[in-house]
Amino acid sequence: MVGIVSQAFVFEVRNVTYRYESVAALDGISLSIERGKRIALLGANGSGKSTLLRLLNALHFPESGGIAFNGQPLARDAFDQDAFAFAFRSRVGLVFQSPEVQLFNPTVFDEVAFAPLHLGWPRTRIEAAVAEILGKMEIAHLRDRPPHRLSGGEKKRVALASVLVMNPEVLLLDEPTAGLDPRSESQIIDMLMSWGGDGRTVITTTHDLGLVEDIADYCFVLQAGKVAAEGLPGEVLRDVALLERANLIHAHRHRHASGVIHSHPHTHPHRHD
Amino acid sequence: MHIPDGYLSPATCATLYTGVVPFWWGALRRVRRGLHTQMVPLLSVFAAFSFIIMMFNLPLPGGTTGHAVGVGIAAIVLGPWASILAISVALMIQAIFFGDGGITAIGANCFNMGVIGSLVAYTTYELISRDAPVESPRRVWAAGLAGYLAINFSALAAAIELGIQPQLYRDATGAALYAPYPLSIAIPAMMAGHLTVAGIAETVVSAGVVAYLQKSQPSLLRGAAGGATTKPLWLVLMILAILTPFGVLAMGSAWGEWSAGDFLHPETRRQIAAASGGNELPAQVPAGLQRLARLWTAPLRYSSQVPAAIVGMVLIIGACWCIVLLARRIRVRRNMSFVERTLTSLMRASEYAASAEHVTESRGLFQKIDPRVKVAGLLLLIVAVAAARELRVIGGIFLFALAMALLSGISLRKLAAWVWMPVLLFTGLIAAPAILVTGPRSAAFLVGRAETAATLVGLLVLTTPWAWVLKSLRSLRCPAVFVAILGMTYRYIFEIMRTALDMLEARRSRTVGTLTPLESRRLAASTVGVLLNKSFQLSGDVHLAMQSRGFRGEIHVLSEFRARTVDWCWLGLFVALAGGALWWGS
Repeated sequence: MVGIVSQAFVFEVRNVTYRYESVAALDGISLSIERGKRIALLGANGSGKSTLLRLLNALHFPESGGIAFNGQPLARDAFDQDAFAFAFRSRVGLVFQSPEVQLFNPTVFDEVAFAPLHLGWPRTRIEAAVAEILGKMEIAHLRDRPPHRLSGGEKKRVALASVLVMNPEVLLLDEPTAGLDPRSESQIIDMLMSWGGDGRTVITTTHDLGLVEDIADYCFVLQAGKVAAEGLPGEVLRDVALLERANLIHAHRHRHASGVIHSHPHTHPHRHD
Repeated sequence: MHIPDGYLSPATCATLYTGVVPFWWGALRRVRRGLHTQMVPLLSVFAAFSFIIMMFNLPLPGGTTGHAVGVGIAAIVLGPWASILAISVALMIQAIFFGDGGITAIGANCFNMGVIGSLVAYTTYELISRDAPVESPRRVWAAGLAGYLAINFSALAAAIELGIQPQLYRDATGAALYAPYPLSIAIPAMMAGHLTVAGIAETVVSAGVVAYLQKSQPSLLRGAAGGATTKPLWLVLMILAILTPFGVLAMGSAWGEWSAGDFLHPETRRQIAAASGGNELPAQVPAGLQRLARLWTAPLRYSSQVPAAIVGMVLIIGACWCIVLLARRIRVRRNMSFVERTLTSLMRASEYAASAEHVTESRGLFQKIDPRVKVAGLLLLIVAVAAARELRVIGGIFLFALAMALLSGISLRKLAAWVWMPVLLFTGLIAAPAILVTGPRSAAFLVGRAETAATLVGLLVLTTPWAWVLKSLRSLRCPAVFVAILGMTYRYIFEIMRTALDMLEARRSRTVGTLTPLESRRLAASTVGVLLNKSFQLSGDVHLAMQSRGFRGEIHVLSEFRARTVDWCWLGLFVALAGGALWWGS
């Protein structure tokens, strides 16, 4: 399935600017994403992470600067051709932060079948693929249910299944664990950890530092529409000054038994060296 | 003053119905406030009092008769709102059961005597007796004047309604279609009697009852009916009821209440002319009057008046209980703020949807049929219902739908609450004027067709998950875009409903006490604004999510049904039923 392309980078973002109305969401951002890696985009609310994902998914296009996918520029004109659009859509999948946005079909089956159906797969292949992914995500029993009657964790799994069914080469995840209870969260993370590999790239946005080392091999810290830092998760998480600057951590103030008030940055480095 | 059927044009009747309905509604809302007190028995007493007092016919100059209404005393004791209800109940029972006043003219009569009478009497009494102690003679005078003015303003309104008919409604030859006398005759003729005898009768009744209450039940005059007992009042009523035969003090009917036969009989023609300032009636019964006058035949007559009075009182007590029940249902809304009301209806909507979805998932006869067969078959039956010209055929299909519903686990209560009542309310509004214009038969067709079609649709929706209904529409060659829009609308109604619920609950958690109407309006406007904004945002994001998964402007829907032999049998049954109904019904 996964095309073997010689370039080392799936995405190359060069000097990209994008604004909503007059507010700049991305302000001359540049970064390169290596093939087959699990990437975390870290940033506080409003740092431009979600916008970047939408641009990587070619739902919006940069005002200035450019994005290349496997060396080919992603431009509005290119998406006028069905062949290119379908090829891109089946290779890059985006899971939106809100399942309400992601789940717009009357039943779970229709939801998961939507992408293959619109990418023109034959009927028998759609049915087989949907059945397989529903089983893998442990939601086969929800097949005929309407999405609005599912719990938050179930909705998230259906949303993931609706994208994973295409078996995309690049998976873009916008805050995949936001608003989930701990059990659903760990299930989603387990699924994502088992899904990677095979030359597939996973890009996840999050502001939950506790997750980063589980879901990423490499991470970027975004701040005000730019890359503030990048590196291996361990290095980035140790740079307290950077994290504080990017609003990813806050001072944790508490009183010791001796009566001394002590203040230190609140981090959860889950390192087990 | 009881305008009969045929004296007012259907348009005038409809206008006056429209005029009186807001007062009934307002009265119901206000009356519930007094439900914990004695409002129920008091309402019955005064409705019955008004009913009986109207049977005391007094001779008027010119040979016709007149009567007091009792509206003065009702407004004084009950207040204007409950008084409107009491008088209206009496008038309705007279019209429906005793043929006194027309069915089409109930709106007009309730407006004249109930609304105008109550408001005039209450205002007059309050203005004069405002600071007077309960036992003050000023209250007696105030009551007398209130009664006098009330009945005369009511009579004036009735005279105007009758008098404008010949100006507005004539046939090709210029003959009046409804009431024949113009304003110049109607007003003097009507007022002559009411300014004198009837007015005096109402004065005596109002003043007399107030004087009586000052001694026996002064608490009733204080507005707070708390400790008062209605027992002595009922006793008085019974005596009045027994006296009613002597109430027929004069023969001859009241001005403007003649039957079609009175137009033709020489003796009655002479009497009517005398009461109308010497103006003869037209030689022919007005065409519109004759048509409408046949509309309703009352089941009872006043002929033996004691039983009539007793039957009337029993009916009135029943009607008052119904009003109380109605008012109790309104209560839930009355006490709630905008936030509460909206929250309640949102909750109810989602409960309804959840409950409907529960039925679709349960086991039953109809749940097992292929949805495409159901959609096609029930559509065929709806076509047959629409085409049927026999009430029996419509009734037959209705019974079939009913039987299917029961076999599919849909309770009668659900059908009544979700299908029949809303449809009846809606088509009833349309059917009411149709009764006037084309007769009750066409109204029966209208309601019958609407209810049967709605039951069939309800049967489909309550036994089939919405998603399957959509897919069946798709496989029956309904355009995919249409199906997708229906599906998404249903899907996102829940989302927007939940957003609205969250917003209002957040608001409620920060609100203590009740909001002023202005605050409510502001809150409603801002909630709607935010919802609209969120909906736009949502629709933009959903479009992106669709694009992200390959949507290129053309929507596809996957149909996954396989029809079995059983389904083909059902389809055959539907086709046969619809075909039979079309053949029999046309």
